Amino acid sequence: MQANIEKSQTKKYLLLSILCIGFIMMIANFVGQEVTTLTTNLLYVPVPGMLVVLSIIIAARFSLKGKHGRAWILFVGFAVSWFTAEQIWLVYDLVYQIDPFPSLADFFYLAGYPFLFLFSIYYLKPLKSTISKKTLTYVSLAAMTLLIPSLYMASGQDSQIDDFELALALIYPIADAIILIPALIGVILFFRGEVNFLWSLICVAIILNVVADTGFLITSMDGSYYMGHPIDMLFLWAYILFSFGVYSHIQIFKKHSPNIKSQSLDDLR
Amino acid sequence: MFDVTNGEISKALVTLTIEKTLLNMGKPVLDEVTHRLFANYKCFIPDCHEHPEYLKSVLKELYGNCYGNIVESIKKNLDEFATKKSIEHFLMVISE
Repeated sequence: MQANIEKSQTKKYLLLSILCIGFIMMIANFVGQEVTTLTTNLLYVPVPGMLVVLSIIIAARFSLKGKHGRAWILFVGFAVSWFTAEQIWLVYDLVYQIDPFPSLADFFYLAGYPFLFLFSIYYLKPLKSTISKKTLTYVSLAAMTLLIPSLYMASGQDSQIDDFELALALIYPIADAIILIPALIGVILFFRGEVNFLWSLICVAIILNVVADTGFLITSMDGSYYMGHPIDMLFLWAYILFSFGVYSHIQIFKKHSPNIKSQSLDDLR
Repeated sequence: MFDVTNGEISKALVTLTIEKTLLNMGKPVLDEVTHRLFANYKCFIPDCHEHPEYLKSVLKELYGNCYGNIVESIKKNLDEFATKKSIEHFLMVISE
């Protein structure tokens, strides 16, 4: 009963957070370009920052031990990498006012992908018996379907960019396609009723992030992207979903009084 | 001298296996299962020897339909003792 109330409250807060981010960005866009840039950049401090804090809490709870502990330490690696990348982007964009691509931020964004991929593998490991080869094939095909046009678009960028920039632009869709595979599997398991919604939030967040990345690529290509573009809302929503996914795990595996455990051992004696 | 019956040995084996499997996933998992067993059924891990359905239900509550992998792991660890009648019963109920 208590757990159900907590779950529905978590869902309410999730919806509220998503609406708040949408509302703030919408207002900022109405006010003007400068306010939009400033507001969006500043939103990238607390939103990914919250994810770092929550992921450290859950990793500490598992004390880095056991299968779950190893998975969460990988997640901390991902959260810290992307948080660092966002802060570097912010400094380039707000302080130096230069184009943050390519920059050190890309190194941290890309460093986050292996962490996220390994985490999702660990995360889905307990479900491996429920994942059929057919599902894996369909999901891989879906990832390829996204990858091919994205690679085509990325390689078709203007000829002014050098080989390094082109390589960087090509790595993102490839990394996105790779992490999309476990994420889609996680969501399929949710629709099949194998796991609950809060368990699958992290997978939904990955998918949203891939969608946002593809949108970013398209808008960058046609020159319509600016900091605070509605595409940024998707990135921020992905962080919110990640945070609530982690928070739901903190709720599930909350600390209990040690009395029950000692009683359990006494029972054996 | 201790006077230990076969039933008590089976109970200890089942308890240790459950605890080892859950600890392998992480201490908070063991704590949560212990807590839910007590909250829902007023029982402890050793009682799962007589009531495997309680453990099954708690694992299902936590992991949904994919609790099967944990059950598989418990089965694997108890495999060499599966000939004992009470362990056989435990394994049968938990994997149904």
